Amino acid sequence: MLRLALQTARRRVAALVAVACAMFGGAALVTGIGVIAESGLRSQMPVERLARADVVVSAPQSHQPPEDLPIGLPERNRLPVELTERLAGVPDVTAVIGDVSFPAAVLSAQGTPVTASGHGWSATRLADEPGVTGQPPTRPDELAVDAGTAAAAGVQAGDRVNAVVAGRTAQFRVTAVVTSPEPGLYFADDTAIQFTERRVDFIAIQAAPGRTDNVATAVREALGDNDLVVSTGADRGDVESPGAAAARSFLPALAGSMAGVTLLIIGFIVAGALSVSIAGQRRDLALLRAVGASPKQIRGLAAGQATLMAAPALVLGAGAGYLLADLFRGMLVGLGFLPAGLPLTVSPFPAVAALLLLLLVVQAAARGSAWRTSRLPATEAVSESRVEPRTPSKTRTYAGVLLIVAANVIAVIPLVSQTSLGANTTAIAGILATVGLGLCGPAMVRWVSSVLAAKLPARVSAPTWLAVANTNGYAMRVAGAVTTLAMAVVFTLTYTLTQTTLITAIDRDVEATGKAELHVTAPATGGLPQDALDAITTTPGVKAAAPVSTTTVLWPGSVFGQIQVESSSALILTPAAANVLDLDVRSGDLNDLTGATVAVSGDADLGSEVGFHLGDGTFVKAKVVATYGRGLGIGEVVVSRDLAIGHTTSGLDQRILIRTDDPGTVRASLASNPVLVVGEGSGLATGTGIPPELWINIVVLGVLLGYLLLGIANKLVASTAQRRAELANLRLIGATARQLRRMMRREASVICGIALVTGLVLAAVPIVLLSLGLLGQPWPAGPVWLLPLVMGVVVVIAFAAIELPTWQALRPPPVDARNHQS
Amino acid sequence: MTRPHHALRTGPFETVPTAAVTLAEVSKIYPGGVRALDGVSLTVDRGRFVAVMGPSGSGKSTLMHCASGLDTPTSGKVFIDGTEISSLTENRRTELRRRNVGFVFQSYNLVPSLTIADNITLPLRLAGAAADQEWMRTLAGRVGLTDRLSHRPAELSGGQQQRAAIARALIARPAVLFADEPTGALDLRTGRNVLDLLRELVNELGQTVVMVTHDPAAAAHADLVLIMADGHIVDTLTGASPTTLAHRIATVEAE
Ligand SMILES: Nc1ncnc2c1ncn2[C@@H]1O[C@H](COP(=O)(O)OP(=O)(O)O)[C@@H](O)[C@H]1O
Ligand SMILES: [Mg+2]
Repeated sequence: MLRLALQTARRRVAALVAVACAMFGGAALVTGIGVIAESGLRSQMPVERLARADVVVSAPQSHQPPEDLPIGLPERNRLPVELTERLAGVPDVTAVIGDVSFPAAVLSAQGTPVTASGHGWSATRLADEPGVTGQPPTRPDELAVDAGTAAAAGVQAGDRVNAVVAGRTAQFRVTAVVTSPEPGLYFADDTAIQFTERRVDFIAIQAAPGRTDNVATAVREALGDNDLVVSTGADRGDVESPGAAAARSFLPALAGSMAGVTLLIIGFIVAGALSVSIAGQRRDLALLRAVGASPKQIRGLAAGQATLMAAPALVLGAGAGYLLADLFRGMLVGLGFLPAGLPLTVSPFPAVAALLLLLLVVQAAARGSAWRTSRLPATEAVSESRVEPRTPSKTRTYAGVLLIVAANVIAVIPLVSQTSLGANTTAIAGILATVGLGLCGPAMVRWVSSVLAAKLPARVSAPTWLAVANTNGYAMRVAGAVTTLAMAVVFTLTYTLTQTTLITAIDRDVEATGKAELHVTAPATGGLPQDALDAITTTPGVKAAAPVSTTTVLWPGSVFGQIQVESSSALILTPAAANVLDLDVRSGDLNDLTGATVAVSGDADLGSEVGFHLGDGTFVKAKVVATYGRGLGIGEVVVSRDLAIGHTTSGLDQRILIRTDDPGTVRASLASNPVLVVGEGSGLATGTGIPPELWINIVVLGVLLGYLLLGIANKLVASTAQRRAELANLRLIGATARQLRRMMRREASVICGIALVTGLVLAAVPIVLLSLGLLGQPWPAGPVWLLPLVMGVVVVIAFAAIELPTWQALRPPPVDARNHQS
Repeated sequence: MTRPHHALRTGPFETVPTAAVTLAEVSKIYPGGVRALDGVSLTVDRGRFVAVMGPSGSGKSTLMHCASGLDTPTSGKVFIDGTEISSLTENRRTELRRRNVGFVFQSYNLVPSLTIADNITLPLRLAGAAADQEWMRTLAGRVGLTDRLSHRPAELSGGQQQRAAIARALIARPAVLFADEPTGALDLRTGRNVLDLLRELVNELGQTVVMVTHDPAAAAHADLVLIMADGHIVDTLTGASPTTLAHRIATVEAE
């Protein structure tokens, strides 16, 4: 029976192309998302600075919530320096280096800062071949500098230089210039750990040749029963850069957020392509019924054949998925959301998972499409194969209506939860509603065409009359085309407007938050020097100044009624923040942000205590002293600086906001300090503000839209190509090719008309709810050209995808076309 | 044998001198090189009932297609109602065909999405003419489908569908009606009924008919029987009995 199916395949080239494209794209997208997710779980940063450390001991750099994926901690979790001594005695250990890193910069003679990372002298032993010119630093006011930095700052061994080290400016004597792959300032080990409060980032251990494993085991024993991490081999990469490793842990969540919409679209396109392909075979399947195949055999045949056709495209697509994932990684790196060094994990799992998933979809879709034909009594099967069933199934219609209703219920979520997570449901609701349309579409099309038929004037032209009759007679086929086009409208509108509306809402929030005329940063010194705040506050013309920094906290949020710990961005503020920021405080007072206190967005009881993890993993309890309204732009939580201090990697303020009536003068006075960079306004939009998912969503939109439009065009072409026999028949009866082209254009107009109207209606409800929730207005924010553009694209695709195969079908003489078809 | 067309030959068409269909040296070579018609010449006078017989593959359908303007010959000329058609564009040819030619196919070729009434009047609609409801009802009554007019083709039996197709072929009052094995898809009894109906209509309306059939009994009613083999008309018989025809066909098939 499969052979028969393959023999008929020749006649359905367009349908097979549609199926192959749907499969290829689907497998590529699912595999790509899988690779991204897996990389988030398993990929490792390359080992660079620690290449010569055989065993590395560090504090845990991720938080493991119960029954969930571990969350990477972006702020360095340090260890007490005393541990180094304990490990020195372990057998086969040749060196134990307690390594620290802190922000540092040397100032040139003109005071221009040259950025370099600060370390202890022993860290030079981690470099491959440290060429040292001079003596190691031993006194607190001595340092060594790498050759590149020395050249940039114009210093030599023996010079005296000013440096900003961990936020403190002081004068040092340069004792040595060393060669090092990256810019570094090296201090006496005892001096270095003072900058990090006598805690080290990690302990690097060198072992006797070939003894690495033994040393690792011995170190674990020596450390005893605590949660410190002992790493060897590739595991050391993550220890080097916890920020980068933490950035990676947002990949699974990102993949998860893409997966929902993507899977829905893929299911839709794959099922659509298969249903066209199987509709073209209905007659063959019916004949098989007539010669004794059971309904189950028919469905099995349809599914088996679909699987066979799909397999090559799926395998190729899965391969392309790895390339897609790499392109995507490149884009994330370009946007600054992923460290450039992070490689993708390439394993067969994502491909295998994608293949299994899509094969399931194929089986289900093929069996579903063949359902009606397979269930008919054998005798009716043959006659029914010539036309569609007269009445669309009631169950199907009700199921469709129910799905549309359910979709609109989901669409209410952004109204109650004004977060980017809540906003995600808008596109899902739109897509679900369109799938519902696919189910109740035939009934609707039949109704619309009956109304049209009744309204047609008696002397209407034959093409128009035939077009209406066809719409009515082939409601199922027409509904398929309508649903597909409506999907393009709904998906583009809901998905795009969700992003633009969310961006606007966030921008408005951020815009309304910043009250400052000027802001000051110090990127060269890794954060603002500790004396900067005093200096700025006392600068003439400054009315108020307050530090504003961002960190990440693990905050217990409620997701669909369940408490879940989520990594979320948080502001670090002092009581002075009330003067420079307008957080739309609803209750309490930002002036109370001292000690272990927080302010939170939305509803919370003042004075209640919340427990959460700071960015380095430390669990703290803090009192809620204020609630505010700008959660969308600012984040869920604001942490007092007193609480966060010592739990960030740099330990420095990132930005100081300034209120002043005379920005010009203030700017001029601050210009004398070359370390400080002064900017207009609050400059909050970068840093806080738009979350990475939004940018990514826009790229995903592009990819999915391309896939969707290709799928739509393919499906329309295939279903038009299958009308060759029908068109030839009309020509035999006396229709001219021109009349038939007109008829097809009228049908295309009816299809477009219904698709645009239903698409707009289905998209409207979720978008209005979203806009009300986020912007407090019924209309969304977004480009005005979007709607006309979408409608234009849909119309162009529909007409082109119907017109071209129609020309093709009308080319051979009708006698031939009829013979070679049906 | 009786000549049922006698009454018709004295009908109104008699005064028009042109033949209904004329083929002059018509050849048809299909892509791939099959010479399905090889220099066939033929004149069908108005009011004539012509039967075409011959073994399968002998070119009967090709002859019908070329003579009706459904297809164009590779060489030679075809005149329908006095108009030479091979020089016409596809559109003009279709229009001429719509006006002057009715065609009954073996496979009925009704439009599944249209009711029987709409199927019957479709050629008029396509010609932009008003659907002549009275004529349609007359024809429908004549073919016995009055109570089936609002049904769809799928709800009718094969014989009923073919009768609807005959009514459709006659709706435009064509100069000539072609029928290519109109009973080929029907059982013997139903097929006979359809043939009887066709013959009665022809008698009543004075219709020119060219029909391909394998049934010697049906062919025996024709004014003229053409026997085809290998793209040639190998014999032209008038007034042959069914037995003679059956014998003649058997010998052609044996060659
Ligand atoms: N569209 C076509 N393309 C190629 N060859 C054809 C085509 N139609 C018919 N033929 C060939 O032309 C010859 C005559 O066919 P046809 O006129 O259908 O014969 P008949 O109707 O007498 O059985 C046959 O050999 C057939 O195979
Ligand atoms: Mg034939």
